[in-house]
Amino acid sequence: MADDIRFTGLEDVQAPIARAHGLPNSHYTDPATIAAENRAVLETTWAAIGVGADIPEAGDAKPITFLGQPLLVLRDDAGAVRVFQNICRHRGMILVAEPRNIEGAIRCPYHSWCYAKDGRLVATPHVGGPGQNAHPGINRATLGLVPVRSHIWRDIVFVNLSGDAAPFAEIHADLIQRWAEFDQPMHHGGPDSTFTLDIATNWKLAVENYCESYHLPWVHPGLNSYSRLEDHYHIEQPGRYSGQGSYVYRQLKNEDGRTFPDFPGLSAHWDTGAEYVALYPNVLLGVHRDHAYAIILEQVAHDQTREHIHIYYPTATTDETLRTRNAKLWKDVFIEDIFVVEGMQRGRAASGFDGGRFSPAMDGPTHCFHSWVAGRVSAMAVE
Amino acid sequence: MSVAVADRATLDAALLMAHEIGDRAALVALYTQAAEDAGGTAAAFYLTHAYVFALDVGADAAPILRARLIEMGAEVAVT
Repeated sequence: MADDIRFTGLEDVQAPIARAHGLPNSHYTDPATIAAENRAVLETTWAAIGVGADIPEAGDAKPITFLGQPLLVLRDDAGAVRVFQNICRHRGMILVAEPRNIEGAIRCPYHSWCYAKDGRLVATPHVGGPGQNAHPGINRATLGLVPVRSHIWRDIVFVNLSGDAAPFAEIHADLIQRWAEFDQPMHHGGPDSTFTLDIATNWKLAVENYCESYHLPWVHPGLNSYSRLEDHYHIEQPGRYSGQGSYVYRQLKNEDGRTFPDFPGLSAHWDTGAEYVALYPNVLLGVHRDHAYAIILEQVAHDQTREHIHIYYPTATTDETLRTRNAKLWKDVFIEDIFVVEGMQRGRAASGFDGGRFSPAMDGPTHCFHSWVAGRVSAMAVE
Repeated sequence: MSVAVADRATLDAALLMAHEIGDRAALVALYTQAAEDAGGTAAAFYLTHAYVFALDVGADAAPILRARLIEMGAEVAVT
């Protein structure tokens, strides 16, 4: 074993990049460490759990388990997305077991307590005895579904489980401002524009790989023909997001030379510009003149991640062939990344690995994420 | 679904079938009929079931059934 390999503490992770080490192995392999980390970086922040397109119609409901919590994401009759704890206030029964459309009320399958889509408890059958649906001890006004603090941005459903994070728009004001030109209607491409990838890795490694352009010429050689390393720049907003930008985005064209329509009103920067940002903690975003995407990272286990990819366009209807090709293009790129994030996960089993050393020139966005995780875990440890 | 059910045994069979296939609209109608055929607590019991399935399926009958339950003293006026 090399002499310079040593265990590092989190203070080493937060050191300037030229001296910093990456997060220790335990943050990828040890369930107890990861449980504490989850509290620091997923439970007390604004974490992504899905997209509005998962529940496109009024009444659509989707149960989701996040950090072990049973949640229900629901589109109400007015079209608003709501998130509740997915349990009945009576006996704690799971209310909705599978994605489905709620036509009327949310009826508990156990004793049929019924909730309106805004969470109000509206019926408590036989609660006062057979044929008696009220009881002085049951105050329905205090027994609605428990709401989970949520926020929708770019169709992504974010939740703050701890309920005490600063407002989303305040925390992420920088990226909202950076991409203000894209703050306009966008439309999910539909079934052919969404896919999932199951990967044997800790979710953080997907973030870390996404942040940097250093790997592009080696892992994505197909991009070299038009998107060279020197055509990229770093994006670093400590504590919030990091990623990479490209100066040479080239639109996809079909056989007739037609492209997707552009998002209207973009400045000239976006003619050939594109940006790819990991919004902390667990969503990976891409924006281009003619489409955008979001990747929600679902932590299935400490070494299992499910990537949910959704692609959006400026208009409700787009060329199906072109749309399918675009989805395939991105899927192929994301699949190319799998062997590295799985390889890094397996590598974390190496005893004494010190978290690795960063390229001071090329790994800034990845170190930015590591430093954020380390800072939050450290701060929570002293609370 | 028609609920012209002639006798109690037939009604029970129709209710079981509706439960089995998850036909909630039929359950609304069948439990409403069961309530009309019964009296007292049993009527409130069956009408409650009709109301619950009406809520479940979002049937127009829900507020009408609720009003009937309130009138019977089986439901509270304010939720």
